[in-house]
Amino acid sequence: MTLTEARTAPSVTGPPLAARHRPRRPRVLGAAATVAVIGTFAFAPVYWLLVTALTPNSAAFAFPPRLWPREVTLEHFANLADNPALGRYLVNSIVVSLLTAVLTVIVAAYTGYSFAKFRYRGRRSLMYLVLASQMFPQALLLITLYLVFSATGLLNTYLALILSFTTFTLPLCVWMLKGFFDTIPDEMIEAAKVDGAGQGAIIHRILLPVSLPGLVATGLFAFVRGWNDFIFALTLAGPRKQTLPPGLVNTYLGEFQAAWPDLMAASLVVSLPVVLGFVLLQRYLVAGLTSGAVKG
Amino acid sequence: MSTRQRGLPDRTFGVLLTLPALVLLAAVVLYPLVGSLTTSLFRQSLVLPGRSFAGLDNFRAVLDSEFWPVLRHTLVFTGCCTAIPFVIGFALALALHTRLPGRGLLRGLFLFPWVIPGVVVSFVWMWIFNANYGVLNGILVRLGLVDDPVSWLGRPGTAMFAVIVAKSWASFPWMMVMLLAGLQTVPATLHEAAALDGAGALRRFWHVTLPHLRGIVGIVLLLETIWNFQHFDTIYVLTGGGPAGATTTFAVAVYDTAFKGFDLGRAGAIGALWMVLLTVLVVAYVWASERGRQA
Repeated sequence: MTLTEARTAPSVTGPPLAARHRPRRPRVLGAAATVAVIGTFAFAPVYWLLVTALTPNSAAFAFPPRLWPREVTLEHFANLADNPALGRYLVNSIVVSLLTAVLTVIVAAYTGYSFAKFRYRGRRSLMYLVLASQMFPQALLLITLYLVFSATGLLNTYLALILSFTTFTLPLCVWMLKGFFDTIPDEMIEAAKVDGAGQGAIIHRILLPVSLPGLVATGLFAFVRGWNDFIFALTLAGPRKQTLPPGLVNTYLGEFQAAWPDLMAASLVVSLPVVLGFVLLQRYLVAGLTSGAVKG
Repeated sequence: MSTRQRGLPDRTFGVLLTLPALVLLAAVVLYPLVGSLTTSLFRQSLVLPGRSFAGLDNFRAVLDSEFWPVLRHTLVFTGCCTAIPFVIGFALALALHTRLPGRGLLRGLFLFPWVIPGVVVSFVWMWIFNANYGVLNGILVRLGLVDDPVSWLGRPGTAMFAVIVAKSWASFPWMMVMLLAGLQTVPATLHEAAALDGAGALRRFWHVTLPHLRGIVGIVLLLETIWNFQHFDTIYVLTGGGPAGATTTFAVAVYDTAFKGFDLGRAGAIGALWMVLLTVLVVAYVWASERGRQA
C-alpha cells in the first residue's frame, strides 16, 4: 500500500529504549518546557473563547479586558436558545451531515471493497484518481455546481448540499474503508465462496457486518467534515436551508455585528458535536489521517 | 439454491463495484471542474443567461491585473502556514514522544484547534485581534508595548499576519499527530545501538530519527501545501480577502469574482491558472506516495 498506510501498521517499537540508558530528567524537563510554550499558544485562545462566552456584556466590552473574569453568566447561551434562526441552522446541519454520511458510506463501501480485495488493470490509477479528486479547489467547482443546481431548481435544497458535500466526503470514505477492508483476511472471503455464497452475500452478510466499527468510524468522519463545511452551504443554500457555519457568519458578522459573547457561546455549541466525535474516533484518527484522506 | 456459476467473473465484478462512486464523482467533481475551466473562454455572467466566446481575453485581463498580487498573497500564505505549523508540530511531537507524564491526554487536548470548524477558528481570532476590545491589544497596551490599540485586521501587513496566525493555530495539531505516528515507527534498537556507540541526543536525532522520517515529512509538507494553496474558510471569514485585497488568495479571488462580481469568465480564468499550479503539487504528491510505497 502507500507509504503512509504502511506507517500506520502497529509498531513494535514503543518508547525509545535509549532513554533508559541516560539520565531521564533533562529530556523530560525539555519536553515539559516545549509543551508549556506551545500549550500557551494552543490553549490561550481556547481560554479566551470560554471566558468571553461566560462573561456579561459589560465585562466583555471593557478595554483593556480583565484576563480573569469577576462574574460568570450563562445569559449568552440563553440568547442562543431565543433565536429561532439558530435552531433552524442546527436542524439543517444535523440533517445534511447525517444524510451525507449515510449516502457516502454506502457508495464508498462498494468501491473500498473493490480496491481492497480485487485485482484488475487500472485499479491503482483509479485509487489515485479518487484521492486526487478531493484536491480540486472547491471555489472552482462551485461555479458550475451553482449553475447546474440553479438550472435544475435544486438551489436551497438539502439535496444540493448533500451532493456538493460528497465531493470531499466520498474520496475520504473510499480510502478509509479500503484501509479497513484490507485488514479483513482473504481466507474469510475464500471460505464463504467455497460454501457457495454469491458475491452479494459475501458483501452484505460477511464483509459489512464484520466491518461495522470501520463503517461507523468512517461515517463519523464524513459527518464531521459535512458539519464543518462553510463554502458550499454559504453559496448553495439560502437562510432557510443553511447550515450552522454560514448561518453563524450571517447572523453575527452581518446585522448584529457586536454580539461577541453570544458568538463565542455559539462557537462552543457548534464545536461540541465535532469534539465529541473525535473523542470517540481517537482510535481511528491516525489511520484516517495518514491515509491522506482527512484534510488538515 | 445458490449455484456458484451464476455470478460474474471476479474481475468484472470488482470493476462494477466502483461504478456508483465513480459516476457520482464524475457528476459532482469532474463535470463541474471541466465546466468551470471552460467558462474561462467565454464572456459569461452568473445572473444573466447566455454567453459569448471570448478567446483568451479573460486570461489577458487577469494576467494584466490581479493575477500577480493574488499569486504573491497565496504563496506567502501557503509558505508561512506550512512552515510554521510544521516547526510547532514537530517540536510538540518530539516533546510528546518522551516519558512526559500525561502525554496521552495532552495529545488529545492539543487536537482541539484542528478539530473545531474552520469558521470557529476565524471567530476566535477575529475577537482576539479586534481593534477596540481585543484581548491582544489589551495585553500589549497594558505591557506598554503599544500606545494605541492596533487595527490588526484593518491594515494590509497585520491582516496577513493575523490570517497566518489563525491558520497555523488550526493546522499544527495535524502535523503533530502525523509526525508522532512517524516517530513511533523509528526502531528503538537503532537508537539504543547509537547510544551505546556514544552518540548524543542531537546526533541520534540527526542520523537516526530524521532519515527515518524523511518519507512522512515529505508527505506532510506536500499535503499541507496543497491544502493551504486552496484554503478559503479562515481567510474569507477573518478578513474577506481585505483590506484592499491584501489577503486575497486564489480561492478568495475566484469566489469573489464569481459570486460577488458575477463575472464567471474571469473567475474561470483565475481558476484555470490556479489549477495549473495546483496540479503540479498534486502530481508531486501522488508521485511521492507511489515512490514511498515501492521503497
